[in-house]
Amino acid sequence: MQRHLFMSALCVAICAAVCAAQDIRVPDSATAGAEATISAGGSGKATFYLVGPGVANKSDVALGEPIQLHANDLRNSGTYLAIVCSDSCHSAAFYVSAAKAASVTFLVHPSRVPVAQSDAVSGVAIPFDQYRNLVLAPLTVNFQMTAANASLFARPVRTRDGVAWFRTASGRSAGAVQITASIDDVSARRALQQVASEPCNLRIDGKRVSNGILVQTLPVHDCAGNVVPDGTIVTFSASEAQGKSTVDAPIKQGVAKAQIDASGNTVISAASGVVLGNELRIGAK
Amino acid sequence: MRPVTQCASHVAACVFVALVLGANGYAADATVQVQLDSKNAAPRSVESLTERSIVRDYRFAWTSMAQALELNTLDPLEGPFAGEAKEVLRQAVTSQQHSNLTREYANQSHRLEAVFYAPEGDVMELHDTAEYQLQVRDGGKVIHDEHVVMHYIVLMTPAADRWVVRQLQAVPQF
Repeated sequence: MQRHLFMSALCVAICAAVCAAQDIRVPDSATAGAEATISAGGSGKATFYLVGPGVANKSDVALGEPIQLHANDLRNSGTYLAIVCSDSCHSAAFYVSAAKAASVTFLVHPSRVPVAQSDAVSGVAIPFDQYRNLVLAPLTVNFQMTAANASLFARPVRTRDGVAWFRTASGRSAGAVQITASIDDVSARRALQQVASEPCNLRIDGKRVSNGILVQTLPVHDCAGNVVPDGTIVTFSASEAQGKSTVDAPIKQGVAKAQIDASGNTVISAASGVVLGNELRIGAK
Repeated sequence: MRPVTQCASHVAACVFVALVLGANGYAADATVQVQLDSKNAAPRSVESLTERSIVRDYRFAWTSMAQALELNTLDPLEGPFAGEAKEVLRQAVTSQQHSNLTREYANQSHRLEAVFYAPEGDVMELHDTAEYQLQVRDGGKVIHDEHVVMHYIVLMTPAADRWVVRQLQAVPQF
């Protein structure tokens, strides 16, 4: 009787060992959005679990037969866990890498920049595959900056840990600038506006009129020859025997104008930012 | 009169504790250990205030993620995650709800290294070497229990009042 029980127990143990999943074979390399196959040794029925980024599936499988993993379940790059449970559970991990770059996230700063400023423009490019996985394999990103079809800057940069970046000076001409980051046939484009910098010098002219002195600047340019933007403030200062007065006037279409109430001999000067203009002497009324 | 005063002081103490724990609308789980090394961050160096924010918000992100995947609820994902990271976690929770699986991340420890900080400070890439006890359950039954060391590439961006995780992608190694 004892021998019979022992033999039965042995049979059950052997059967359990044979029926159970012996080993799980997972893909050496898998790509996001591509089908893959897993195999679990043994025989009989088992429960298969796929646990990974964005997925936690459970299904019945037959041991010894290939287990198909659908492309849709492997969309996200990362580490997946294949778990097969019959009498006991066995697991194996595998890695799914990103597919090829299908889009580029491109951050450019600033959106408006004064001309001729060193290290004033920067951009960061981050490639993603069609499933929005970060592409970590090194890629060459071609950065290009153009204004009116003229190239201001072009530089190929290799991605490192999925990121490429650049920093450069702004161009010398005011106007719209296109900046492009491209990887093979994938590209992203951004636009920024280059605006005139601070005034380079000021020249003023004036004349006495019936109710004071009318003074105005000649067209105000920055040092690269761009007309200074409207709204830039020019401060006119007038000194006469009775005292001193100042008037702030915004530039409109390159010129700032002001009327100063003064009747005696007057000395007028102008300033904008750190730039001083010429002195103008107007005689008494 | 005295019991009323005592009661009032207890209420005040409770309110104070609640306010302290709930500062900024959330409180990070102190059991999630996060260390940050930002000395190699480039091209911009990481300010000390930013360092503190990253540690606080990354810890909160993992606390929330663990809670979402353990309880199969989407609510904890609102706030600490954005973009693709949030979408992938939403998919994971939804998938777990269908299959009746749960995941538990216990005894978490994260060694973060900032490797890229954009010139204008609008994105930071970090490498996380994470250690935790991962348990997968089918219903109440544990089907996988393992101490793992994982490597994650993380993209974080500043939001209105915190840094949010936009990408959380496991890699075999750095």
